[in-house]
Amino acid sequence: MIPTLKTTGGLARRRRNAKLFAYFCMVLTWMCIVLLAVLLVHTTRDGIGWLDLQFLTEFPSRFPERAGIKSALWGTVWLIGMTAAFAIPIGTGAAIYLEEFGGRNRINHVLDIVIANLAGVPSIVYGILGLAIFVRGLGLGRSVLAGALTMTLLILPIIIIAAREALKAVPMSIRHAAFALGATPWQTVRFHVLPSALPGILTGTILALSRAIGETAPLIMIGALTYVAFTPQGPMDQFTSLPIQIFNWIARPQQEFHQLAAAGILVLLAVLLLMNATAVWIRHRALRIK
Amino acid sequence: MTIVSNEEMAATVDHTASFEAPPLEARDVIIAYNGKPAVNGVSLTVPENKITAIIGPSGCGKSTLLRSFNRMNDFVAGAEVTGKVLYRGLDLYDSSVDPVEVRRRIGMVFQKPNPFPKSIFKNVSWGPVINGFKGDVSELVESSLRKAALWDEVKDRLNESALSLSGGQQQRLCIARALALQPEVILMDEPASALDPVSTSRIEDLLFQLREKYTIVIVTHNMQQASRVSDFTVFLENGRMVEFGETDQVFTRPAHKRTEDYVSGRFG
Repeated sequence: MIPTLKTTGGLARRRRNAKLFAYFCMVLTWMCIVLLAVLLVHTTRDGIGWLDLQFLTEFPSRFPERAGIKSALWGTVWLIGMTAAFAIPIGTGAAIYLEEFGGRNRINHVLDIVIANLAGVPSIVYGILGLAIFVRGLGLGRSVLAGALTMTLLILPIIIIAAREALKAVPMSIRHAAFALGATPWQTVRFHVLPSALPGILTGTILALSRAIGETAPLIMIGALTYVAFTPQGPMDQFTSLPIQIFNWIARPQQEFHQLAAAGILVLLAVLLLMNATAVWIRHRALRIK
Repeated sequence: MTIVSNEEMAATVDHTASFEAPPLEARDVIIAYNGKPAVNGVSLTVPENKITAIIGPSGCGKSTLLRSFNRMNDFVAGAEVTGKVLYRGLDLYDSSVDPVEVRRRIGMVFQKPNPFPKSIFKNVSWGPVINGFKGDVSELVESSLRKAALWDEVKDRLNESALSLSGGQQQRLCIARALALQPEVILMDEPASALDPVSTSRIEDLLFQLREKYTIVIVTHNMQQASRVSDFTVFLENGRMVEFGETDQVFTRPAHKRTEDYVSGRFG
């Protein structure tokens, strides 16, 4: 027999299988992207004609040609801004406690499980909770504050889980190095662990806020599905939001409103992309400084 | 366990605490992980301004013993120390002792170089700064880097990331970082095991210079290194101390058969 280094027999079959699997994965990846692209093209075709400055600066109206999303856009900005102001410090703080200070006792183990389960609770349930606690219980009414607090509850588990993963990824040797230099646990976290984990925490936070920006059900639950002809001036004002406005328009029979909804979706997507871009930029900066 | 009142406790501590007392002393130390002893009844006195090497086969408890000297075992879940570890006659595991204070006086260099992902300057200055150092930080950074024989290599790039240094340089940076706190004792956990021979010999040269001013305890599984750099040698096996004596004696005229077998390379 002469020696050969070419693929033969069993190896050829294994190679073929490996290749098939790679193609299979590629097809799956493209399937998601193509579906999204089709959706985007479809929406753009419907909505682009309505998308102009007037659309952004007018309040909703029963005449499609005069209707805009000013109140919804500002409502969303207020809602997400306040949600971020509540959820980021609380979520990061909780993650730091659980990961860096809590230790491995039974109570923290139970907390772990509870938080993981809370991340999977349907958003409408948080809506009911928000209605009972914030709108009625604390008497905040249908205010932006009540909405932001409800959204905070909704995304806290997501932020906590993401922030904990980011903290876990910081090598133990960094903590030991700091402790061996006579640092207190807080100094170790403040100067070394948190800066190292920040990019990961930011990514998780933005993902969570992206989820909040698209949420509709809990807001309908707490009474944000009303006609609002003004922008919020303070945290106690009534509000509406982009997804609610979209839902509102879709629910009407006239073709024009469906196209307005499509235009609203485009604005929502733009806001979302802007947020993600900001996160990427901040992460990039954080990495460069390090 | 006996319960003593605060006054009694303070009295016993004050009675023995003094800078004349040895820098480190272990009395019947047992260190257990989740009930399983890794160090089992070790008693020894670490001599001042000398290099003491702890040798022994893998898993004999060398690193565990070393880490009990500055309470780094606190971070290992399930670790429990019984017996007494004394610094200048003070019980390191007394409830009134602040482990942060302990680690300011007893520094540590780890097996793998672990510089902070920050500038070279900040790596050295951070420890003193957070501990309230009020003097000239640049001067302290320079003198620490000089003591660690790293100054000439990094003096023009102090603001570059410490991660841009080679492994050997990173380890000397970690030594400089420990020196900047002006500790009395430096613990080293196999500081050269992750380094190439040239870097290793530089670290060993450095140890000789540091011996003048510091008490050094070094864990190593490299017997040649122990015989080259140390004044005293502790031989551990299965968590028990087999032999403790001057390095010359331990390596040439060991008192125990197990020590002789180990240092002559018959096992381990």
